[in-house]
Amino acid sequence: MDIQEVDGLTAQALAELAGAADLAALEALRVKYIGRNGMLPALMQGLKDVPAADKPAMGQALNRFKTGVTAAVAERKAALEAAAKVAKAGAFDLSLPGRWARRGRLHPIQQLIDKTSAIFRRMGFTVADGPDVETEYYNFDALNTPADHVSRDVQDTFYLPGGLLLRTQTSAVQARYMESRQPPVRIVCPGRCYRRDTTDATHSANFHQIEGLYVDEKVSLADLKSDIDHFAGELMGPGVKSRFRTHFFPFTEPSVEVDFSCHMCGGKGCRVCKQSGWIEIMGAGMVDPNVFKLAGYDPEIVTGYAFGMGIERLAMILFGIDDIRRLYENDARYLAQF
Amino acid sequence: MKIPLSWLKEYVDFEDTVAGLADKLTFSGVEVEGIERLGGGVPGVVVAEVLAIEKHPNADKLTLCKVNFGGPAEMTVVCGAPNVAVGGKYPFAPLGTTLPAGFTIEKRKVRGVFSEGMLCAEDELGISKNHDGLMVLDAKWAPGTALSEVLGPPETVVEVEITPNRPDCLSLLGIAREVAALYGTQVKVPDATLRESHPAVEKATSVVVEDLVDCPRYTARVLQGVQVGPSPDWMKRRLEAAGIRAINNVVDITNYVMLECGQPLHAFDQKLLAEGRIVVRHPKPGEKILTLDGVERALEPQMLVIADAVKPMAVAGVMGGEHSGINETTTDVLLESANFRPASVRATSKKLGMLSDASYRFMRGVDAELAEFGSRRAAKLMCELAGAKLLMGVVDVRSEPKKPWKVVCRPARLEALLGIAAAPAEIAQVFAALELKVLKCGPDAIEVEVPTFREDLTREADLIEEYARIYGLKKLPPVRSMATIVPDADDKPAQAQARLRDVLVGLGLQQIMHYSFLAEGLLDLFDQGNAPSRVKLANPLTADHTVMRDALLPQMAETIGLNFSRQVAETAFFETGRVFRLGPDGKPTETDHVAVGLFGPAGRTGLDKFKPVEELEMFLWIKGLWEQASAALNLRGAALRPADRPWSEPGRGMEIVVDGAVAGWLGLLKAEIAKEWRLHEPVGLLEAEAKPLVKDVEATQPLVPPPSYPSIRRDAALIVGTDVRHERVVDVARAAAPAELEKIELFDVYQGKNLGEGRKSMAYAFTYRSKTGTLTDEVANGFQAKVNAALKAQLPAEIRES
Ligand SMILES: [Zn+2]
Repeated sequence: MDIQEVDGLTAQALAELAGAADLAALEALRVKYIGRNGMLPALMQGLKDVPAADKPAMGQALNRFKTGVTAAVAERKAALEAAAKVAKAGAFDLSLPGRWARRGRLHPIQQLIDKTSAIFRRMGFTVADGPDVETEYYNFDALNTPADHVSRDVQDTFYLPGGLLLRTQTSAVQARYMESRQPPVRIVCPGRCYRRDTTDATHSANFHQIEGLYVDEKVSLADLKSDIDHFAGELMGPGVKSRFRTHFFPFTEPSVEVDFSCHMCGGKGCRVCKQSGWIEIMGAGMVDPNVFKLAGYDPEIVTGYAFGMGIERLAMILFGIDDIRRLYENDARYLAQF
Repeated sequence: MKIPLSWLKEYVDFEDTVAGLADKLTFSGVEVEGIERLGGGVPGVVVAEVLAIEKHPNADKLTLCKVNFGGPAEMTVVCGAPNVAVGGKYPFAPLGTTLPAGFTIEKRKVRGVFSEGMLCAEDELGISKNHDGLMVLDAKWAPGTALSEVLGPPETVVEVEITPNRPDCLSLLGIAREVAALYGTQVKVPDATLRESHPAVEKATSVVVEDLVDCPRYTARVLQGVQVGPSPDWMKRRLEAAGIRAINNVVDITNYVMLECGQPLHAFDQKLLAEGRIVVRHPKPGEKILTLDGVERALEPQMLVIADAVKPMAVAGVMGGEHSGINETTTDVLLESANFRPASVRATSKKLGMLSDASYRFMRGVDAELAEFGSRRAAKLMCELAGAKLLMGVVDVRSEPKKPWKVVCRPARLEALLGIAAAPAEIAQVFAALELKVLKCGPDAIEVEVPTFREDLTREADLIEEYARIYGLKKLPPVRSMATIVPDADDKPAQAQARLRDVLVGLGLQQIMHYSFLAEGLLDLFDQGNAPSRVKLANPLTADHTVMRDALLPQMAETIGLNFSRQVAETAFFETGRVFRLGPDGKPTETDHVAVGLFGPAGRTGLDKFKPVEELEMFLWIKGLWEQASAALNLRGAALRPADRPWSEPGRGMEIVVDGAVAGWLGLLKAEIAKEWRLHEPVGLLEAEAKPLVKDVEATQPLVPPPSYPSIRRDAALIVGTDVRHERVVDVARAAAPAELEKIELFDVYQGKNLGEGRKSMAYAFTYRSKTGTLTDEVANGFQAKVNAALKAQLPAEIRES
């Protein structure tokens, strides 16, 4: 056999291997060409009879045969095995439900407390806490609400024995916090409040607020405006701005109600904002000098702003909740959607 | 409060759209809540009388009406309204009329019959959204009368909400003052000059005020020869637009003047007053009064009444009495214009459950100086509109008059508070526009004299607010927001609580939230022993919210039950919240708690959901959850000890001990309680104080490097009595094993007939590892042999090794 014949044999073997229909046929070809009793050992055997001058070239030809066939067998084997897996894929059911341990979630009210707290933390506020059970002093007197003032009627209050009450607003934390330290003060206080309201789709006798208080030298209403604008954008989305309307709260002077431009329609008017382009979000104002005096701060030296907003109301606006009672019903199927 | 704009314009000029006015008022503190348009009619729409009604030949719900609309001929109209009746008068749109919705009435066939015009409902005329039937008009209107004549001239009514600090705005003149300040115009005060006749009023009546604190001022005028009758249409229309029903000219004038200037007034029929005189006093024991609303009311000593010489005739500042009211035969009127202490009126009004326009104003505070103007104005109108003759003078009993006071505003302070740098003259101009008298205007201070009707302006901050709201909050300058680091602020407790919630969410629990108050019965179900220390609401609103919760688990179990009743068969909940108890001193204490509730196959994954949940399985889930949570919270010094609770199934409860103190409990809910909600499978519960659980969240511990040498594992299946507990196996094995025993893991527990009664198989894997080298099989076998020998002897156990 000369070199050309060996190369011809190589080409023939590669062609046959490429056409092997299954693993059995492939194995038969492998045995035939490179098996222990196949062609390769026989050809190697014949090398000794080749004239010395041709030996190196013949050796290379035989080597081409050996490596070419070996590689082709491996390649064809891999291809046939992959094809076999694909053929069996019908039995591997990709559509079965996935399996992993359960997933937990925070209640939507908690999600919003966390979200708002996180925004304010970034702005340098600390999250503070106060008791649910309050005295008349901290809930009303320290907030500049005299005993016979009409606003004590407006906020109908749940009383406990001993003249204590359930706080009607998280503002009750203000005086407590200020009494215990010197300015600067920069806190937010998320918490539960209670009002003697009949529960309906938009009122809940038990609800949550987040209160903010910033007291320092030279804090102005303009600072409040730009801080609230920043908060509005972070909470509701870029471009959302705030506007102030004059209002009345006993513990701030000036007092404002704060609307945010509607995040749904960008202010053009839609169902969420009742076509006005604005949504009422919070009450705010500059801390009343009387509140400072009662807390032992000198209103000639410090000024401060305070704000407060209802978390349930935010939840209704941001999640599109139609009935506040759903938040306390705790139906797992409803909560699973937040 | 409702403000008819045509009426308002009588007192102030302003050039703006209704929306523009509403916007300005709202931003300056008088919030506009609604805008209503009245009257005006629709061009072309007239009154029509229905002469005859026939059935429509082709439609059951339609009728053919023959109508007279004052035109040359009668018209036939197809009508679908249920309330159409022969002889009725309704608005009629003749052919060619264009209705507010934009369509024009044409002669066209309705189900095969020509309709020559349209009878209208209110919505079709743009008057309201009402489409229940045709708008019914008064029978007095002649067919053909324009609807605009029937409805009166067009009117826009702006409804505003007045905050409690601005009682001076509870009148048209008060609003006019605001409008004048906002638009830079002047208020036009209505004329109150009087023509009086002899004799002097003192000859006709007298006033005694027994309590000048509760009644700082009482004025009385007397009018004679009054002709009681209907008020003129313009006055009726204004009252009705403002939401007050017209009654008769005398009563209407008192209401009209109250709306105009804010001074509540009352008119008595003087001849019905014993001795024709007034005594302002507190009620005598047992006195009662029949009020104008027809209810007899018991009076209490701290209330204030307007009495005649004998008995109470009105509840001061709240409501008049039935016996001295104006009626058709009244000729002599005693006109009361008085002032009462807000807190006194509020207490009386609340106690009697009576609210009136007068009490609403007195409760918020009426300027005592207004009494005289209100009285004059009403007297003048009574002379003009009721033909009355006014007696000379006024009886005016009062305490010391309040004088205007001075307040200083420093521009520097204004800038500090608002962030607005304003020139003193500019500030003074705003004050002057609000009728504050500017006494001094310098660079350092502006001094003003505040009129008595602005009781809310007593301090510098109040004046600064006035400037802000009139200058315009919209014009606040932009400043750069700056975060401030407060050195000693402690955010850690809040972060620790958040970490606790994150851990529970990470373990797959859904957070829930309940009210802090509930019905006491639910708490009793779980632990009656706590009853004496519960915190009860003094004034609950509903029977299901009477007591503060002293534990979170009762609502947890109830909610699991509620979900189960709604076919949610698997729940894994947690709640963090406060619980309330009376402390040893009898005062309420509050503690943050955390609770977990599991029901159904909550601990299983995959397809294994339909097999019933065994008690032990559920117990191990709630216990496992605790183990995972406490590990994730890095909690040290915690242990579990068997302990039952009133709510736990006997022998299936444990207490959580942290640093030697009981911090909570876990276990299975007692079946008797669970059946309240038809929960017939085990419920796993945990409740603990939150604070001890998070004490170590911030702590770190020394780290152990991963082992250098491989371990060897040996398994052993122990056949033991069913009373042998896992912890006993571990104790015996640990005692017998060398230090190389790294861990003992239980991987199977089996009970079956083939093992025999009272026996179970427990399969354990023992892992050995040396710190100094690789263990050989022989050495490990030696370790295990020691352990097995101890287990056989001490448990006792049969052992199958593998
Ligand atoms: Zn919108």
